[in-house]
This record gives sequence, structure tokens and C-alpha cells, in this order.
Amino acid sequence: MIGSVERKVAIVLLLISILYLVLSFQIPTFPYSIVDADALPKGLGFLLAALSILLFIQNPTEDRKKSDLKKDEVLMLLAVAGLIFVYILLFELLGFVVVTILFLLFTSRMLGYTKWKTLSAVSIGFTLVLYFSFNYLLQIYLPQGILPF
Amino acid sequence: MVMSLLLGSALLLSACGSNESSVESSAEGSGEWSPDKPIEMIAPAGAGGGWDTTARTISKVMEKENIIDKRMAVANKPGGGGAVGWSYVNKKGGNHTLFVTSPPILFVPLNGQSKLAHNDFTPIAGVIADYSAFVVPANSPYDNMNDLVEALKEDPKAVSVVGDSAPGSMDHMAFVKAVKAAGVDIKQLKYVSAQDGSGMSMLLGNKVDVYSTGLAEATEQARAGKVKVLAITSPEPLEGETVSEFPTLKEQGIDDEFVVWRGIMGPKDMDPAAAKFYEQAVKDMMETEEWKTQRDNFGWNDNFMSGDQFKDFLDQEYKTMEELLKEVGLAK
Amino acid sequence: MDTISNMLYGFQVVLTFQNILFVFIGVLAGTLIGMLPGLGPISAIAIMIPLSYGMDPASALILMAGVYYGAVFGGSTSSILLNAPGISGTVATSFDGYPLAKQGYAGKALAIAAISSFAGGTVSVVALMLVAPLMASFAVSFGPTEYFALMLLGLTAIASLSEGSTVKALISATIGLIIATIGVDQQTGTQRFTFGNPNLLEGIDFLIIALGLFALAEVCSLILSRKSKMMNGNTNVGSLKITKKEAKEISGPIARHSVLGFILGVLPGAGATIASFMSYITEKKISKDPSSFGKGNLKGLAAPETSNNAATSGAFVPLLTLGIPGSGTTAVLLGALLVVGVQPGPLMLTDHPDVFWGVIASMYLGNLFLLVLNLPLIPFIARILYIPKALLISLVIIFCMIGVYGVSFSTFDLYLLLAFGIIGFIMRLLNFPAAPLILAFILGGMMEQSFRQALTISNGNYMTFLDSKVTIVLLILSLLSLTLPVIKSKFSKKPTEEEKEHLAS
Repeated sequence: MIGSVERKVAIVLLLISILYLVLSFQIPTFPYSIVDADALPKGLGFLLAALSILLFIQNPTEDRKKSDLKKDEVLMLLAVAGLIFVYILLFELLGFVVVTILFLLFTSRMLGYTKWKTLSAVSIGFTLVLYFSFNYLLQIYLPQGILPF
Repeated sequence: MVMSLLLGSALLLSACGSNESSVESSAEGSGEWSPDKPIEMIAPAGAGGGWDTTARTISKVMEKENIIDKRMAVANKPGGGGAVGWSYVNKKGGNHTLFVTSPPILFVPLNGQSKLAHNDFTPIAGVIADYSAFVVPANSPYDNMNDLVEALKEDPKAVSVVGDSAPGSMDHMAFVKAVKAAGVDIKQLKYVSAQDGSGMSMLLGNKVDVYSTGLAEATEQARAGKVKVLAITSPEPLEGETVSEFPTLKEQGIDDEFVVWRGIMGPKDMDPAAAKFYEQAVKDMMETEEWKTQRDNFGWNDNFMSGDQFKDFLDQEYKTMEELLKEVGLAK
Repeated sequence: MDTISNMLYGFQVVLTFQNILFVFIGVLAGTLIGMLPGLGPISAIAIMIPLSYGMDPASALILMAGVYYGAVFGGSTSSILLNAPGISGTVATSFDGYPLAKQGYAGKALAIAAISSFAGGTVSVVALMLVAPLMASFAVSFGPTEYFALMLLGLTAIASLSEGSTVKALISATIGLIIATIGVDQQTGTQRFTFGNPNLLEGIDFLIIALGLFALAEVCSLILSRKSKMMNGNTNVGSLKITKKEAKEISGPIARHSVLGFILGVLPGAGATIASFMSYITEKKISKDPSSFGKGNLKGLAAPETSNNAATSGAFVPLLTLGIPGSGTTAVLLGALLVVGVQPGPLMLTDHPDVFWGVIASMYLGNLFLLVLNLPLIPFIARILYIPKALLISLVIIFCMIGVYGVSFSTFDLYLLLAFGIIGFIMRLLNFPAAPLILAFILGGMMEQSFRQALTISNGNYMTFLDSKVTIVLLILSLLSLTLPVIKSKFSKKPTEEEKEHLAS
């Protein structure tokens, strides 16, 4: 019986450890070293495999808080993760100012913030203050993208 | 079949590329090229390191002395010992991106960690030179380089050498090159890499026998009597308060030298006229008093090379290092 | 006597209008930069270097030192309020600081952090002044074997870092160690698990992991609870009030970790991050009530906060007395000294006493400034928590993004940050603790390198680990730290069962 989430996790971890071990055994050897670069990874791979088997046997289901993730909440999390992904994708393309303002508007709205006026003021103000203090005060250059400044 | 197709299209593409650039440069004519937007000076490392300091110093002096009338902003592109920054420059291309570089542009590709090597870029100018120093604690049994070489010839495993860079990179190869010239079996050498910068601490704590490092790091410790400098890798003895006391390898009968150079490069497709422009700018910058003060503070030595000289120098160095790395089994 | 006259001389250097201003600007800039998650003092100081051309050397170092300890001071703010560590030295601060803020005691937590930081900073400056030259030889007495044993001691505490299943804690730690193996191996130059990606050659940055596992994972939890109020009904989050009992409670850890932090700070291989973790673990180990750690224990907040600030002053020992950088930040400070014409090295004390004593004296003043600057601001800063969650969540995400981008300038690292955020949230759901992963990551890399450095030097002779007294003591301590809890639980098992029966009846 596989049953509990813990056991499923244990199986996933075992697979990860096997993959890691396979990769560890492909690390090229270096002729003149006493303890070579592959020694620790091999050890860690076996350790993780052993621990995941132990997890499977122990099956410590009781210490997990019962979490009842509702379906729409999961969708919300995925949506935010998706927005972050798009944000990174466009970050250097469109530039910091444009994507950040859009991100703040979209994400906050999606999470249920409805005061449009405050939201636009905060998004634009916050982004511009950050951008100018980074690029001109700190001289840490955030991507300017399509904007001329 | 597929291969030849790929090859063919690659050739075609590159031909187009070169056509385009030649058209561009002829359009510029023989007239002066000058930048028409801010210049991006890449330090292919994090804030605070040698490349970063050099980049920021050069950009500062250029702006302050009005050598180029456009802004020269330093941007850090750390990662992969330079590889991330180099691929950024390569992708960006054009006439308004420069980067600071030094021996790792030879070592990192040789170690198999970067597909781009020095000949994938346009050498613009060599700027400064520094030298390596081989240092032992004050209470070490070795008093000069030949003592050390004798010990290494007897048993290459008897001496541990520490350096702040990776195996197969600067600190390591400077030492390997020197003792090879003295006739030591370099395959057996014990090199300890201390990339958190703890090399000097290990030496002062007597945990290792020799520290291969830059001249600047060694000078103050030697002046305080904490360490002995067995040899420096400059071709001629250096001038200066403490450094003039350091013996060169050649003075001790070992025919070798090692220059830790720093210079400026641009992307491969850079317009030759633009490269010439930057070469002249670097030359002018190095004439200014501001530069001379900074150079002396950092303990750098001027080592101007024109783009062509720089290129020949790099090709030569690359060959030497490739042979050495093959011999110690680190070339990939 | 001598020390007093030196100190007076130091204050003479500092107490000019210009230098007081520099201390102030330094600590202010440092606090602000520290508060931004991700961005640390290194970037700020490196950027200041070219600007310091032609400055008086003492003034320049006073300014930059101010940025350094100011950032460590300010870094705790975002750790406590947002669970987003400001700098790597304040990751451990969030373990108990953030739960406190969540319970509605943000003001109190920030006040305790400020007081602990001030105390740790001040005590260690006194130590720096009195024993700096003596500690110089201690700083270099640690070599590969000693560092290996020290890191091992830290790792043995992993099981004690977490509640619940030990297997899960060990799995977290193993994954931390596995992540630490990514990148070019330092001793052989061999690439490990880089998949030909140049962005992975130097390994994964500690702060990306910390921000992902803590800040972004917390963002996920906030999204789920976005409809509920943040402060558990406490309407006065900004209150700084600390009761006498609480003051007494934190005085112990402050005293202990001022010393421990300073000592670990002196060691070039350790530094503020490791010091704060070691202090947190130690405090938990000696606590009568270890299970309350991680849930808003005041000691668990005071210990790392004292320690990281004490370690910051400690890091000045090798820098000022030997000219050896003990950390990334002090290495950059060393470069700054060159710009203003001071050769850092063992002779700095004789050649430039004004720099040496001036900087030390300025640190007294700077720590005082930081306290005076921060305490009145706390009620205002704590108001961040009044921002509606929907808005706060997206702002925190942006903070983390630019914090990471501002250091590496690579979108690859941003994708990594997102990935670690997701991993962190999944770990929370399954009740795998994140702290062991972080701790193993930071100690593991160094432990492996030290171990192999030691064996290279000794030609493969394992007896080298028994050559030094310090190493032996640390190894014995590690052994005790592993076995004592087991022995303890064996002896105490019976009474607890009796107690249970007693309670039941």
C-alpha cells in the first residue's frame, strides 16, 4: 500500500537520489587528487536514498498539519507563480519600470485589491522611486528596456 | 547530410555577417568614429573584485578627464569565472560594449568552462601589469627559490602550495610555470585552492608551505617581516621601497616570467574604427595625472599594448598555457 | 592605560564635524541597503570606492565601515517584518523574529533586534579595542582541519533545529548538501551538475535559496490567508514595550552571543552568517524550552541578532591587524583602503594609527546612531504590516526580485528564486523544515572544501585531523552534540511517562 502523501514523497525522493547518483558517477575523475570531486556527491546520493527508504518505512503522517487546499486557492497560487514567470520573461525585454508597474497592478487586483486609484498611485510611485534610486543613487543598473531613461 | 547542411548554412550566415559589417565600416569611411550613446563597461565579476575595480577606475578617470564625452557605466555580470559576462558581451555585440579582462580569459576556456575564448573578441588595448609572488612564512626553511626548487625536485609532494584561484588558473599556473622552468616534475605538485581568500591566513598560520599570490598582497606582509618573498615573476627587478628587495626568477637562474595583465576588449563584430577610437582613448587616459595617482595607489604598473600587440601577446600566452595545462592534466 | 589614550586619540579623529557626518551617512545608507532584501553591503561599498578618491583615509574607512555594520543592523528589519532576509547574516533572525511579527509583536521584535544589535556591536567594539592585536594570532590559527571540525559541529545540530520527524529534517539537510555540490569543484576544477550552464558554474547563491525558501514560500502562505488580518487582532503592532521580565530574559543570550559572535567573526572563514546560525543553535541547545524556538522565542531572536553584529566588528580584527580580509565585505573594504592610499597590512597600526583607532572609535558612535535612528522609526516601519495583504504580497515579490537581480544581474537567478519559492512552499505543505536545508547548504560547501584541503596538505593522512588541539576539542564537541540528546532522552524517558500518568490521574 502506498497510501499516504509521505510514502509518495519518499518514492519521489528515491527517484531523485537515483538520478543524482547516476549523474554523480558521470563526474569526470581528476588524476592527481586524494579525495576527488565525485566522492561527496556519491555519498550524498546513497544517503538520500537510504533516508527516503527510511521515510517510507516510518511513514510519519501524524506530524503533518491537515491542510485543506481548496481548488480555487491552488489555482490562485499557480496564477501568481505564472505572473512571476511572465514578469521575469519580460524583465529585460520591456525594462524594469514597465513590467513592474504592470505586475503590481495585475497581481494586486487579482488578489482582491480593488481601490484602483491607490493601486495605480502606489504601483507607479513605488516603481519609479525604486528605479531612480537604484539607477542614479546606487548606480545599480536595472534594465531600462523600451523606455528612453 | 544534416551536418553538411548545418555547416553550409552556418558558413552562409557568417559570410552575410562579415559582408554586413564591411559595408557598415566602409560607410563610415576613413573618417573618425565616435560613440553616439552611453558606453557599457562590463566587469564579468561581482562588485569589489579586481575586474570590477579596474573597470570602475577606468570609467571614473575617463569621465572625469572628459576623454570620451559619453557616459561610461560599469555593469557587473558575475558568474562562471567570467563566462557569464563574456557570453553577455558576445550576445550584445556592437560598438558600445567593452569589458575588462585578464588571464582568466585564457584559463577559463582552457579548463573547459567557457565556449568563448579570447579570439572570440576584439582586443582593444592592454592597460596594466601585475606580477605573481611566491611567499613563505618568516620561519620557513626555504630562503630562496632554489631552496624550494631543490626540495620539490627531491619530493614534489613534500611541499604544499596554496593559492586563491581555482586549480588551472592564475595562482596555480604561475607557480607551475616557474618550477617547470626550474626542472621540477609538475604533475605531482600539491595545490590547495582557497577561493574564499583564506590563502594568506593559511600561510601565516603555518598550515601550508608556499602561497602563490599577487605582488600587492605579499608586499605589506613582507615589509612587516611576517613572510619571505622567494621570487617574483617580473622580467626585471622592480623599483619601489620594499618591492626592489624581491628577487626575480631570472636573478635566481630560472628563466621564466609571468605577467598578470589586464586589458580591455570588445565584441567580435566591433567596427575596427571603433576599436581604434577606444584604443586611443585608453592611451590618452593613461597619460592623465588622475590615472597615475590611482595606478600607484593600487600598485599597478602601466603596460599599454595596442590592439594588435595585445592580440599577438594573447595568442602567444594561450599556446604556452595550453601546453602547461595539458601536462598537468587540467586542459579539457 | 595605553588603550585609553589610544581610544581618546581615536575619538579625536572621529569627533570632527566632517567625520561625524560620515558616520551618520554611512550607517544611514547601510541601514537602508540592508533593509532591501537581497542587497547587501558589498555592492554598496564597491560602488562607493571610486567616489572616495582623494578622501582622507580615516574618513573613507569610517564611512564604509558604517555602511557595513549599518547593513547588518538594518538587515534584520525585513527578516522580521516580511520573512525576507535583508542580508545573509540575518537569515537566522527571521526564524523567531517573523513569528513574533505575525503574532502582532512586530514593534517589540524590532526593538529587541535593535537592542541586541546595539549590545552585540558595542561589546564587540570594546573587545576589538582591547584584544585586537592578541586575537590576530587566533585568527590565523584556524586552518582546514579546524574549519572542518567547526562546520561539522554546526551540522550535528541539524536534528535539533526542527520539530517533528527527524527523518524529514535529515532529508532537508541532505538536499541542502546536494545543492551545495552544484558548480565547479574548487579543489579540482571539475564541473559538477552544471549541465553546461555558465550560470551554475559558481554554484547557487545562498541568498537566492534563503529568499526563495523563506520569503516567497511565505508569500504563498500569505496568498492563502489573504482574507484574514495580519496582526491577530493586535491593533498596536508598533508598540516597543518590553517588560522587565523580557529584558531579563534576553540579557543572557545578549551577553553570551556578543562573545561567541565576536570570536567567530574574527575567524576569516566564518563571519556573520555562520556566527548567527551557530548562536541560534547554541541558544536552542541550552534552552530549557527548545520547542518554543521558531515560534517567536525572544531568546531565539536576540541570539542571532547579537551575534551577527558582534561578528561584524570581529571581522575587523584580521582586516586591521593583519591586512587579511575575513569575508567578501572586508575584502572590498581592503580594496577601498588601497584607493585612498593606505596599504592594508600588519603595519597599519604603526603606519596609520589614525585609521586604526579612528575606525574603532567611529564604531561606538555608529552603533549609538543606529540605535537612536532605528528605535523612533520602528512604529512607522512596523506599519508596513497595515498595508492590505493583496498589495503587500505583490510588493514583497518585487523586493525579492530586485534584491536578487541587483546582485547578479541575471534573469536566470530570478527563475531560480521562483523555483526555490515553489520548493519552499511544497516543503511547508509536507512539513519538511527549511532551516536544516539552509544550514546544511552554508556549512556543507565549506566543510567539504576544508576536508579535502586538509587531506591534500597531509598527503592523504587522516591523522592530520588529530594534530591540533582545537580540532580535537571541536570534534569531541560534535560527538557530544550528537550523542547527548540520545542519552538524555534515554534517562528522562521514565520520568516523563510517570509524569504523563500523573497528569492523567
